[in-house]
Amino acid sequence: MNEVAIAFEGLTKTYTAKGKRVEAVKRLTLTIERGEFFGLLGPNGAGKTTTIGVIAGTVKPTAGSVRVFGLDAVRDYRKVHKLVGVMPQEEALDSWFLNVREILVYSAGYFGLAPREARRRADALLKRFDLWDKRKAEVKELSGGMKRRLMLAKALIHDPEILILDEPTAGADVALRRQLWALMRELNAQGKTILLTTHYLEEAEELCGRVAILDQGELVAVGPPEELTKRVGGDVVEIELDARPAALEAAKGLKALAAKVKAKAGTTLKDGKLVLPGTLEDPAVLETLSELARAGVKIRAIHAHRARLEDVFVELTRGLKA
Amino acid sequence: MNAGATPEALSKARISLRESAIAFYTLWKREMVRYLKDPLDTIVPPILDVILFILIFGIALGVRLGEVGGFPYIQFMLPGLLMMSVIMNSFYNPAYSVFQSRWQGNIFDFLSSPLSYTQMATAIILAGVCRGLLVGGIVLAAALLLTDLPFAHPPLVIAELLLVAVAFAGFGCVVGLWTKGWDGVNAISLFLLDPLVMLGGVFYSPEMLEGVPPLEALTRWNPFTYLIGTFRYAVLGLELEGMSPWPGLALSALLAVGMLAWAIALFRRGYHLKS
Repeated sequence: MNEVAIAFEGLTKTYTAKGKRVEAVKRLTLTIERGEFFGLLGPNGAGKTTTIGVIAGTVKPTAGSVRVFGLDAVRDYRKVHKLVGVMPQEEALDSWFLNVREILVYSAGYFGLAPREARRRADALLKRFDLWDKRKAEVKELSGGMKRRLMLAKALIHDPEILILDEPTAGADVALRRQLWALMRELNAQGKTILLTTHYLEEAEELCGRVAILDQGELVAVGPPEELTKRVGGDVVEIELDARPAALEAAKGLKALAAKVKAKAGTTLKDGKLVLPGTLEDPAVLETLSELARAGVKIRAIHAHRARLEDVFVELTRGLKA
Repeated sequence: MNAGATPEALSKARISLRESAIAFYTLWKREMVRYLKDPLDTIVPPILDVILFILIFGIALGVRLGEVGGFPYIQFMLPGLLMMSVIMNSFYNPAYSVFQSRWQGNIFDFLSSPLSYTQMATAIILAGVCRGLLVGGIVLAAALLLTDLPFAHPPLVIAELLLVAVAFAGFGCVVGLWTKGWDGVNAISLFLLDPLVMLGGVFYSPEMLEGVPPLEALTRWNPFTYLIGTFRYAVLGLELEGMSPWPGLALSALLAVGMLAWAIALFRRGYHLKS
């Protein structure tokens, strides 16, 4: 029997902004099992940060609930916080007067760790995350990568059961991203349940056992990345259309074509890129290429590849928009 | 799948009294270190201000003012100055600290920790009380080099200092939550606290204003007059006309309880802390 680490039950969050009611999260129901590496995906404004904010103690839900190992995140917030380590998206380091090591030691103290144990854990994390030489430095002396590692170390200081990472690699360069991925994998292998929010689909595909896709606060898909990609078929053909003004004379033809491709399941047309399920040998794909030629639409490039999470994401969050 | 809390999870989530006390102590210590690390910015200026008041009003001008209520002017003025130091410093510490933590984002550290909202508010307020009493204590030590104070009612001295410090640290915490910018804290200090303190009889007794009706009325209606009057009674044993110390003590207690409760309630509500 698998143990549920996090259970969202009809979670709803409504804001009022400039007199308008905005539903940031709409009746989200979802469970994450212990030991999972779970990804919460969605475009900016999809409600990812709001969703995890209820667990972190920064968002008051309007309706529904979140349970962490059966404990209510609002009513039992103190216990829930003890089980969870959160790395927020924004830099939230107590940098005014504390150095790197002190930031970790104080964080440990907020979780009830005695000073000696707090120092021991802080030192161990500083060494593990390659920050030992910077332990007496001020935060402003750290590089972007070092700050990220410090924030991750802070989330781990009390050895939580669940690690929640809100866009941990946003803005990170490739080397840092790979480094953080390796750390996350290692933590998951050690048994930590990880809830990762990201809009880097490659990241989710690389790391997560299951993902949920949120769009405008609504859960639109959940499952292992490979299962979701099957929704658009195993193979995909991407046709890059020539969108130069002269070529757009053919746009009339493209408009007519859009109506036709709409009828084909799993087909998307966005930013001059037509994505079709299937291979180059597929009769439906060949027929579409002929239609494009007949309509006078010039083609810049054709790519055939296995479907990726990105294809699912585009299909589910944007649909067929010319 | 099991949606209930497992014994293992419940055991790991348990917060012992010791852990709770360490968490509270850590936040209190953080608030203390915040101002003790930079005394030139936080501790020295208010002490210098008060010493200048003592030198100018107490010594240079005080000899010309003679006695007030049977006490040399410097002795009459000192309890008021002490109270002013305690009020302002108790207020500033939580007001700036809470806003700074919100502005910098590190309030997240407290909100996502197992600290209760009551613990957060009281640890921050307690540090404010400590700063108020620390600055007040240094001012008192400096003043005692220049003159004697009789400390007529020591228990009342302690009670009034503590209650006023809690009241204004609580108010500082509320202002730190309410304000949307640094200017908000300064505005409250400049337009509310400074006039109320200055017109609250720090430097004069209400009787000295007879014949200046608007100023006398302002002083008589000013609640700070009674806080300072009570403290002056506790230190000097001086009860000015129409200034029984007990309403002042009751007001101090009411403000202390009210402000503490207000600050805790705002933390619990997540006012300007949660969306």
